[in-house]
Amino acid sequence: MNDILLEIKDLHAKAGDKEILKGIDLTIRKGEIHAVMGPNGAGKSTLSAVLTGKPSYEVTSGSVTFMGQDLLAMKPEERAWAGLFLSFQYPIEIPGVSITNFMKTAINSKRKAQGLEPMKAGEFLKLMKEKMALVQMRAEFAKREVNVGFSGGEKKRNEIFQMAMLDPSLAILDETDSGLDVDALKIVADGVNSLHTPEKSAIVITHYQKLLEYVRPDIVHVLKAGRIVKTGGRELIDMIEKDGFEQFHNND
Amino acid sequence: MDIPMDRKNIDHGNYVAAPLSGGVRVEGGRSAREIFILRGGQDVVPPQCYTVEAGSILDLTVIVLPGVSARVPLTVDLLGEGAQANLSGIFLSSGDDKVDFDITMNHRVGKCKSTQLFNGVAAGNARCGFFGRIVVAPDAQQTEAFQTNHNILLGDEAKVETKPRLEIYADDVKCSHGATIGKLNEEEQYYMRSRGIPEAEAKVLQMISFVAPVIASLPETDAEGKPCREAVAQAVEEAIRAI
Repeated sequence: MNDILLEIKDLHAKAGDKEILKGIDLTIRKGEIHAVMGPNGAGKSTLSAVLTGKPSYEVTSGSVTFMGQDLLAMKPEERAWAGLFLSFQYPIEIPGVSITNFMKTAINSKRKAQGLEPMKAGEFLKLMKEKMALVQMRAEFAKREVNVGFSGGEKKRNEIFQMAMLDPSLAILDETDSGLDVDALKIVADGVNSLHTPEKSAIVITHYQKLLEYVRPDIVHVLKAGRIVKTGGRELIDMIEKDGFEQFHNND
Repeated sequence: MDIPMDRKNIDHGNYVAAPLSGGVRVEGGRSAREIFILRGGQDVVPPQCYTVEAGSILDLTVIVLPGVSARVPLTVDLLGEGAQANLSGIFLSSGDDKVDFDITMNHRVGKCKSTQLFNGVAAGNARCGFFGRIVVAPDAQQTEAFQTNHNILLGDEAKVETKPRLEIYADDVKCSHGATIGKLNEEEQYYMRSRGIPEAEAKVLQMISFVAPVIASLPETDAEGKPCREAVAQAVEEAIRAI
């Protein structure tokens, strides 16, 4: 019917007493890669947290529709099942839980919610192997505890690996480039690019332009003080590179 | 009597050596590995006292599953140089369970090492206690003694009391203790849920994660070559799911 994947209308959200998002409007169509750029404290991470249903945030007004469903009415796990994925800026360590066990639980939870049988062991291992290769993770990776003792680069590669396993329709990459050296950045970017299809979309949140040299956005938004103050094409990246975020102002 | 200079800071005055506790002896440089699982309806209770002689090692783990009310007293005497005792445990308590660990680690001579690692989960109306005492005798120089007790409360009605107690009469020792009581971390839960793991399952994984350090310290197979770590992990997971 239409190709709109995500539609955010006048979204306001707060953490505690502090209003952070002050009226976000954003429409993402199938196949598009959007970049959301902005200075520290602009609300970039809040936007990704609110979209994925982090409990400590409260939406005070506005609406978010994801593939025709009311996203804000869904639990975080239901949003994942519907095809939303967030690559965390600071991935969480889970000692004592192996990546294999973690991913198996995640995938089979979704299958269960869809009324499907758990994935067969052989099929699962094949999928693991294939997706690990995508982010250049060695075989031993599967047995490691989730993010425990991982370097910054390994944590981000693990996020992209999980993204590949879960095959989302919309991936949000929250500062995925922070703390990465060039080699790790390339691996992450190659992973993201190879997962991209005309049916899938991504929101790349960043305040650097580094990642955007590898993952090329179609549309660029500038987020400042809880509002999108400018939307344009890739030319905005160069403008930000040159003159920073100062040049963009809230209109009202 | 003159007190030698190197002893002048030692608090001999208050040290009263407890009588030797006797009990099970680990000696002759032997290593003993004991695992006790306390389940509802069964009466497997570990011996209360252990004596570890020079160069010998005691590894002891007590796991208390839901449906058990028990007091678990454990006294260990480290009696010879180089003796070592590693105590660990898990308690998973729910309903009206009442579980108390009451531990005394006596470092009676020098150059011995002890560790204690106990993690507990209390749900429902459970009442749990961890009382852990480390006593380092005045002559037990170069002692290393460490104790950790972490607890998770799953509900408003559950209660845990933790009381680490170090009595150190020697002055050349490495000792530490740490105790916490908290709840399941919501950031972790959100991370897992964002991957499509439902809240209830995320909590199960968190609890598995919480007790993992104790499970990891278990040998892969027991003395008879039967699977140990995996079997215990399974029993614990089942119990966690049933909480």
